[in-house]
Amino acid sequence: MTVATEPALSPAAERLRGRLAGTPLAGRCEVADRDLPTIEVSPDAWPSLARFLRDDPECRYDLFVDLFGVDNLRRPGQKSRFETVVHLHALARNEHVRVKIPLPDEKKPALPTASEVYPAADWFEREAFDLYGFDFTGHPNLRRILCHDAFVGHALRKDYAPGQRWFFAEEDMKAPEWATHTDERAGHFETQTISIGPSHPATHGIIHLIARLDGEKIIRAETNIGYLHRCFEKMSETHQWNQIVPYCDRLNYVSAMINGVGFVRTAEKMLGIEVPDRGRLVRTILSEFTRIMDHCVCIGANLVDIGALSNFIYLYQNRENIYDLIEACCGARLTVSYVRVGGLAIDVPDDFVPRCRSLLESIPLFLKDVQKLVDNNRIVRQRLQGTGVVTREQAIAWGLTGPMLRASGVPYDVRRARPYDFYDKFDWDVPISNEGDNFARYLVRIEEIRQSLKIIRQALDILPAKGAVSSDDWRVVLPPKDAVYHDMESLIYHFKLVMEGIRVPPGERYEWIEGGNGELGFHAVSDGRGGPYRLRVRPPCFANMQAFQKMVIGGTVSDAVATLGTLNIIAGELDR
Amino acid sequence: MSGVIDVSARIPDRLTFWQRLYLPEIFRGMAVTLRHLVLNVVNPRRMPTIQYPEQKRNYSARFRGKHILKTREDGTLKCVACYMCAQACPAECITIVAGEHPKIAYEKYPVVFDIDMMRCVFCGYCVDACPKDAIWMTRNYEMAFFTREEAVFSIDRLRESKAEIDAHGYGYRPYYPGDGTTPPTDASRLPVVAGSGERDALRQAGVALPNRHVGAGPLNATSQAAKFTA
Ligand code: SF4
Ligand code: SF4
Repeated sequence: MTVATEPALSPAAERLRGRLAGTPLAGRCEVADRDLPTIEVSPDAWPSLARFLRDDPECRYDLFVDLFGVDNLRRPGQKSRFETVVHLHALARNEHVRVKIPLPDEKKPALPTASEVYPAADWFEREAFDLYGFDFTGHPNLRRILCHDAFVGHALRKDYAPGQRWFFAEEDMKAPEWATHTDERAGHFETQTISIGPSHPATHGIIHLIARLDGEKIIRAETNIGYLHRCFEKMSETHQWNQIVPYCDRLNYVSAMINGVGFVRTAEKMLGIEVPDRGRLVRTILSEFTRIMDHCVCIGANLVDIGALSNFIYLYQNRENIYDLIEACCGARLTVSYVRVGGLAIDVPDDFVPRCRSLLESIPLFLKDVQKLVDNNRIVRQRLQGTGVVTREQAIAWGLTGPMLRASGVPYDVRRARPYDFYDKFDWDVPISNEGDNFARYLVRIEEIRQSLKIIRQALDILPAKGAVSSDDWRVVLPPKDAVYHDMESLIYHFKLVMEGIRVPPGERYEWIEGGNGELGFHAVSDGRGGPYRLRVRPPCFANMQAFQKMVIGGTVSDAVATLGTLNIIAGELDR
Repeated sequence: MSGVIDVSARIPDRLTFWQRLYLPEIFRGMAVTLRHLVLNVVNPRRMPTIQYPEQKRNYSARFRGKHILKTREDGTLKCVACYMCAQACPAECITIVAGEHPKIAYEKYPVVFDIDMMRCVFCGYCVDACPKDAIWMTRNYEMAFFTREEAVFSIDRLRESKAEIDAHGYGYRPYYPGDGTTPPTDASRLPVVAGSGERDALRQAGVALPNRHVGAGPLNATSQAAKFTA
């Protein structure tokens, strides 16, 4: 007779259980080991658990990563219909933890807010309120964020039918309460409230900033987002796994390739399939080229905003050349749709390596020109240095990631913290700066471009000259076309895959990579159908944008424009 | 793996006197822009600007443009109306109505094959999904139209034509592994043998063709809603 033993916990989960044991929380939460150490907690104990996780010297999960809801209506066997899932990160140990909060009351799902412990939770909670109707008691500003104020219902609930059409009027939008009346204080100018955006050349997309000015200083600000909300997460629930790849391209459309890679990695990990080295290296190379484009766009557009046009043209020429390479690989420039679960759509063209190498030659030349124009230019320095300052503590509290966080002195880069693909084999540096201002972010991005070039060079050196780019598991990857035309068995695999989609085993998983502007994560819940039951994307822009309304306080409007440029907000990802 | 570098430490925080004078730096910057100008004037081919529409961009042979429906040697469509492209399409923009051909031995052929170009995201999934090598893409990206109705391309505009291929060239197509450039050839290229016509009789005996699906406008939302009702 065999005795069922409890599987050993990972060290991280073991530590959590040990630390929690002596506290009053011990009886109210359970530690389990899934793809991440997972703590399950009741709603009323959540704020104290959050405080514990942040402050306990051996836990110190200081970076708030994500918060979202899951509706288990069509997923039987779960504890409750609604649950809130939170992801936290410990910067010191590079560990993620997941907190699950099942909400017992199905009619009025409610839980206390964590925004006092983690200020970054603010917008994430508003999003869960908007899309799931969770009531975060004690939240300072609980109103819709992605959907229009006049929207009825909660779009991500499973009983909300997709495809409904709504018509909204601008009059129905609510301005924040403080912006509706003037504020005249003795000894002040009369303050005035202005609207920057939604359609404003400096907002690079559709973002609405409402600001109260005292003279030229911004004393209060609030951002309205959601103008580009396209229900990415809802649509994912009605599509097959591979069909989501084109949708991913449209998240951060400046770095489309990275999004696709991030998404398929989640599915691949759930399936437990291996992508051949050649496929993974091509993904790495193109992702790094995409990162270069992303930073070029960010720097170029930012400099245009403060009045320097030539840099934009020089940087965009890099982008143009990279797009030519990407188009030769997959047939489209912006919306690449190149990755598939299990590999790539097709192999790269024969002249891939020489083309990459010639790009490696040309990109630094343009960078050099830009640096000559910008680095010691007094106007640029005065506009960027000392403006939009984010201290290390603020950056962590606001949940910033990517170049924003690194420019504030925290060397957190997912490629280094949790190396995926081949990033641990390459020799490269994580650029940081301790200044935290707009100029620091410019410098960090420039250096990241150089590091990406370094990575690409090493990846090209180890890229196998021949070989498959996709897995040969035909339950996941389409069989080769000549086999499909002539061989019945292949045709059946082909048919099953196209008609039913990939059967990902039931379960859930969070996988994260370094996107163009921060930690880009995909949390998928599968119920064994051909598509995800729930797909959550952790958009780095969302947390970064959340900080914007706090960063601009005390600066002038022109500083706000310069700051928005260095945030690198891509509305496609912000609003999803 | 390697270390962490502090980029701000490498560049002096304060500008030098000469840099603060501003003008020397301006001239240095002008030297950069002037160099680009001169090089471009001397060698206009270096300029990346494309004078569209006089000049067109050279897209690769994988470009995902307008679709074509391939034909057999006798001019009939290779498509057997299996609906796989319609199922694979993430934008749900392909509408097919299958018919039974009275003359040929193939089981089905498309009576209607519409692609709504306003919905299409040009992802190429339909090409990957086709088991009959019947749908390819071209390098034609000039498909402007004035009305929504015109945006729905039917068989007459999708059928492969020599004039279109001569003007634009083939784009994305099913690639064989390996060099990836060999245009595929398969059995369905050949003309099909004539059938007995008995299916036609069957059809006349009351097997009706399905009505062409008409969605709720270009968003076609009801098809989605019907699939996932509350
Ligand atoms: S290219 Fe993509 S969106 Fe367009 S018809 Fe084919 S599958 Fe549908
Ligand atoms: S997949 Fe090919 S054969 Fe099937 S309906 Fe589409 S075009 Fe026709």
